[in-house]
Amino acid sequence: MLDHKWNSKFVTAVFAGAFGILATGLSAQRSMADDFNWKAHSGETVSFLASTNPWTSAVMKYKGDFEKLTGITLRVDTYSEEQMRQRLVTVMNARSNEVDLFMTQVSREGMQFAAAGWYRDLMPLAKKETAPGYELDDLSPALVKAATFDGALVGIPLNIAGPVIYYRTDIFEKCQVSPPGTIDDIAKVAAKIKKCDPSVTAFASRGLKPALPYTFSVLLHNMGGSYMKDGKSNLCSPEGKKALRTYAGLLKDYGPPGVVNYNFYQLTSLYRAGRSAMSFESSNELSSIMENEQRLGDTGVMPLPKGPGGSHPITIGWSLAISKFSSNPDAAWYFVQWATSPKMQAKLALAGIAPPRKSASSDQAYKTWLDKQPVRKQWQQAIDFLAANGNSDVAYPIAQNPVSRQIIGQAVDSILLGTASVDEACKTADEKADALIAQQ
Amino acid sequence: MEKKNEARLELASLSLPAMIYTIAMIGFPFIYTIWMSFHATTAAQQLVFNGLGNYSHLVSDGEFWHGLVVTFYLYFLSLALQLFFGTYLALLLFRSKRLPGIVRSLFISPFLIPGVVTGMMWLVILDPSLGAANYVLTSLGLPASDWLASPTWVVPTIAIIDTWQWAPYVALIVLGGLQSLPPSVYEAAEIDGASRRKVLFRITLPLLLPTIMTATILRSVDLLRFFDLIYITTQGGPANASDTLNIYGFRVGFEFFQFGYASALMVTLSVIVLGAVLILNQLRNAVAW
Repeated sequence: MLDHKWNSKFVTAVFAGAFGILATGLSAQRSMADDFNWKAHSGETVSFLASTNPWTSAVMKYKGDFEKLTGITLRVDTYSEEQMRQRLVTVMNARSNEVDLFMTQVSREGMQFAAAGWYRDLMPLAKKETAPGYELDDLSPALVKAATFDGALVGIPLNIAGPVIYYRTDIFEKCQVSPPGTIDDIAKVAAKIKKCDPSVTAFASRGLKPALPYTFSVLLHNMGGSYMKDGKSNLCSPEGKKALRTYAGLLKDYGPPGVVNYNFYQLTSLYRAGRSAMSFESSNELSSIMENEQRLGDTGVMPLPKGPGGSHPITIGWSLAISKFSSNPDAAWYFVQWATSPKMQAKLALAGIAPPRKSASSDQAYKTWLDKQPVRKQWQQAIDFLAANGNSDVAYPIAQNPVSRQIIGQAVDSILLGTASVDEACKTADEKADALIAQQ
Repeated sequence: MEKKNEARLELASLSLPAMIYTIAMIGFPFIYTIWMSFHATTAAQQLVFNGLGNYSHLVSDGEFWHGLVVTFYLYFLSLALQLFFGTYLALLLFRSKRLPGIVRSLFISPFLIPGVVTGMMWLVILDPSLGAANYVLTSLGLPASDWLASPTWVVPTIAIIDTWQWAPYVALIVLGGLQSLPPSVYEAAEIDGASRRKVLFRITLPLLLPTIMTATILRSVDLLRFFDLIYITTQGGPANASDTLNIYGFRVGFEFFQFGYASALMVTLSVIVLGAVLILNQLRNAVAW
């Protein structure tokens, strides 16, 4: 079992080295390849397994442009996230070449898929055939790092996302409260709102067991806690206990009824309906929250405030990966580089897809779109903060990351439901997580 | 003799496609699942033979036992509700022969709705903050409920939703049974001056028992493998209050990628379903007339 800190340093070093080599290679290639042949794989077909989400909807509008540019036929199979993952696992276990490229969340399944050898290293493909102007070093370093395993770049980021607080400026004004400056302030602000306007939910966040580690992790990190220390589970540390107590306490005291089953869907519905004053949810939800423009004029966006451990937001995103078993990886790379090019990401940004590229977020058309509404500007500022300071440590940094999410969720929910004390919940979680870590 | 052989050959050739289909679509996956259940899944997604390792792990796995308890709790509760309301609805429809066809169709329509749609619909209705159910309750001065978010009420709530959907299906089966009951028995009861209550409990229900048992077998197979409604509404939550064996097995397989252990869970569930069907079938034969 590798020491986690050492492992991170090693990965960073390997990543930095590989990144440097690639960047140098690409610059050299750029000077030589002004006449990049987009038609090199004309007549070929690539199959893309996609998840139903805003990025997919936005990019598929330009599918025809890609096929016209390259002559490659793009066959797309779109499923909901869970079903896509089921299909992918079935295809990959069969070592089938049925899927050439797929969407993946490296923060969740990256280690597991990398260990299974399902990802193809994109570095050699990027070095071999990349169009001029494709700036790899323009992508969010945090996300590229999260998609690098043992020096292999397994996915190119498609978007950037992380939990942020959406809050109602009109309710804050009515109740004469300011946005919270620290984690401890959240409860104080929520208490004032609850007293001032009992008809709204003062604070809402995820309570659904497998979904809540996404939001809980920010709180844990900001409290100064970590999931692992010296190769052991660390939830029973004083910081871990405080994070568990605070998160479950906020939901219990100020959350909506039935919050234990809340995922992004319920949170967005509640906030959009004007029934919550603060909603701690993914930055991705902006477009859903702003549907019908009900909340356009009375919403502010901010990252979770700092805690005793500082400010360590979660930054994740979907990535585009090429299957190890693809029989057509070169043509698949053409789609990857087209879909993640600066030009394309700037276009997608106008559809509300937070761009993982610096250049796209400073694109003039995008800036104009942001300038139209103050909430969009605040949202972009929050994302910039996430991009600059974020990490992708949602749950335990182990291959069995999805199992560990259940363990964390169970700990929080048992406190929330009153079936266990903080000490009991963290002890059970530590025992289960240690068993999982030992399996590695 | 030659004619007999010809007939056999013809029978075999006619049934061959069905046999091939059954072996390919049912036999092979099941045998493959049994084979996988004797393997462990490594981090690199390789299957490594581990004999009865998965089954011994299952015996000591608290989540398996919890899943088993929830499975049977949900099974008995749902089955009892569906048999009661299904039979009641069938008797109602049988006696109200003058009800327009459209009304009769509406009564039995819920089971035609896909489980996913049913789940989404009830999820919205039962939302503790925005749902219609609590709005109605509080408007009547009654206390609001957490419904699917309450560890105590989640299983009964799921059983009620499933009853709403499947009691009409039971009613349809029982209605068929009612229509085939011999009129002579009722004529004799009328001559003897039997009350309606006596006719119901002494004649109709006993004679309906084989039909009710058929409905019980059909619903048991579905209820023991309960999945879609739970997956859509609670995903096994809150915490693990509605975590049935099927939901747990699905998570182990498709979220944790431990296909060997998930196969062992599914084989065990299949044995439970098969055992229940065999027992119920024996009971059905015992009450046949």
